[in-house]
Amino acid sequence: MGMLEIRDLNKSYDAIHIINGFSLDVTELTLCCLVGPNGAGKTTTMDLITGRQKPTSGQVLFYGDDITGLDEHEIARRGIGRKFQVPAVLKDLSVRENFQVAYSRTTNPLRNIFKFHSKGFERKLDEIGTLAGLNERLDTQAGLLSHGETQWLEIGMVLMQDPRLLLMDEPVAGMTEIEIEKTARIFNQLKKTHTLIVVEHDMGFVREIADVVTVMHMGSLLAQGTISQVESNPRVKEVYLGNEVH
Amino acid sequence: MTNIYHSKPAQWAVYLVFFAALGVIPLFIDDAFLLNQFSTYGVYGMLALSLALCWGFGGILNLGQGIAFGLAAYGMAMTMQMQAQDPENDPIPPFMLNNSLDHLPWFWEPFWNTGLGIFLALLVPTLFYIAFGSIMFRSRVSGPFFAIMTLAMLSAWYTLILDIQPYTNGVNGITPPRALQVFGFEIDPYSSTSYWVVYTALLLCTIGAKLLTQSKFGLIVQAVRCDAERVRFLGYNVAFYETVIYTLSGLIASIAGCLWVVLVQYVSPAQMDVTFSISMVIWAGIGGRLSLIGAIIGAFLIQGAQSYLGDEFLNTWLLILGGFFIIVVRFLPKGLAGLLEIVLGRIGGSPRSKSPDAVADGKLVAAGE
Repeated sequence: MGMLEIRDLNKSYDAIHIINGFSLDVTELTLCCLVGPNGAGKTTTMDLITGRQKPTSGQVLFYGDDITGLDEHEIARRGIGRKFQVPAVLKDLSVRENFQVAYSRTTNPLRNIFKFHSKGFERKLDEIGTLAGLNERLDTQAGLLSHGETQWLEIGMVLMQDPRLLLMDEPVAGMTEIEIEKTARIFNQLKKTHTLIVVEHDMGFVREIADVVTVMHMGSLLAQGTISQVESNPRVKEVYLGNEVH
Repeated sequence: MTNIYHSKPAQWAVYLVFFAALGVIPLFIDDAFLLNQFSTYGVYGMLALSLALCWGFGGILNLGQGIAFGLAAYGMAMTMQMQAQDPENDPIPPFMLNNSLDHLPWFWEPFWNTGLGIFLALLVPTLFYIAFGSIMFRSRVSGPFFAIMTLAMLSAWYTLILDIQPYTNGVNGITPPRALQVFGFEIDPYSSTSYWVVYTALLLCTIGAKLLTQSKFGLIVQAVRCDAERVRFLGYNVAFYETVIYTLSGLIASIAGCLWVVLVQYVSPAQMDVTFSISMVIWAGIGGRLSLIGAIIGAFLIQGAQSYLGDEFLNTWLLILGGFFIIVVRFLPKGLAGLLEIVLGRIGGSPRSKSPDAVADGKLVAAGE
């Protein structure tokens, strides 16, 4: 079943076409890696799914509902969580507070004025904190975390939302080998219960986690399949893997 | 985090001591003029509090808080003016007659009723803040751009009120001849009664604001200050949150505006002057915009100093104040409250200063962000 269907998506600024008739079906409980050279439109695709940018034409369907052009918070509430390319955490707040904000069960400000404690938060915190390996760091200010920890914190925050679909933009960028291994373990655990779309340049990491690999080039779909299918595709080799840049 | 500055019980204890100290002031002061002056400081404290909420916690720099203060002050002055008029024999305030108006303007009519008048004095600025805030925040105007918009809006209101002289008495403003009467009871501005009214309002606003910052709402507002985009993608309607905190802060300023007129029996466009709204930002900035009580104390200190030193130094006082503000911005971005945070951090944090965390913590606090 296609939980997320992207149909003939287009995005252009004046004469510049960023996304060109891109279509994609994501099946529930799979991990789909979105790869492609710089400027292929991977991050723009994520922006179009999550409402950060509005498409020029085309549709995004989530569980059959048309979510094209909705506001970011409305799409987030439907169950799509997103981790940004440049890790975005709340630097002034503690790790615990970051998780508290991310635990967005009640989103109405007028109701949150009278809320001093969220039901079920501690149990969820324990679960996510363990997964992200941040249980020891809960009282640390988020701005003081190492780069890897910051990435895990943001992944943890996205999980705190309890999304059905997770979009991860370059989750291992800037991580050490050991940190990448740990992240791969986290992702392989996550894909048992979640659907994920991961944008990544690191082909080693993609090989470890991907069920399906989708290659984008110049805003369109170039190839799709398992990692070995994609890697042996001559067109993919030509535009991307042949001159792989990390 | 061993710093006692961040301990919630310690913070509430400080509030308790602070308000207990303010509560004994009238017992020691017989001078009615001085007590009235202290009461006006309480009003300024509420204004600084409102800015700490909006600017410090919400990250929304509002250079036009005089809008709420001024509009509410006009509403209260109109209410008090109408209390002095007689519906039968003398229904039109004297200044309108001087401006050759032969009937009471329609928007003055509701102010015959004291309760309705005070309600409108609070409602009109609140509705304005909701409308202006939601338009701005929905179109994602933020940071310096929002600050400039509030400044422009403040100037617009200033000009409007100045221009419609027959209805507002222009630059001269409104000077109600009698003290406010509530339920047949007079709130004499030169009495401890008015002090207690201001005290109660400041106390309730401070407790409300403090609870607000500790609620989930307060946490999300602080999160918006850090990274609005992140919060939006967690499913929160950021514009809604910004409008609510901006409006609540405006409501506190409106209450302050009403009380100010009760204390001084006067209002003029000067209350909507840019200088006054900037002063509020300076109080909060020097006292500490991230500390509600710090901001209130900032207002007390600076207005107190201005009352006494200002007479001494005349115009030089503004230069001194400006210089002081520059020093605070450069060396103490969290104001005097930030200084206390550093000092308490040094005392409380010393045992574990060897761990790399504490060192980083110390550096960060010293750098101020």
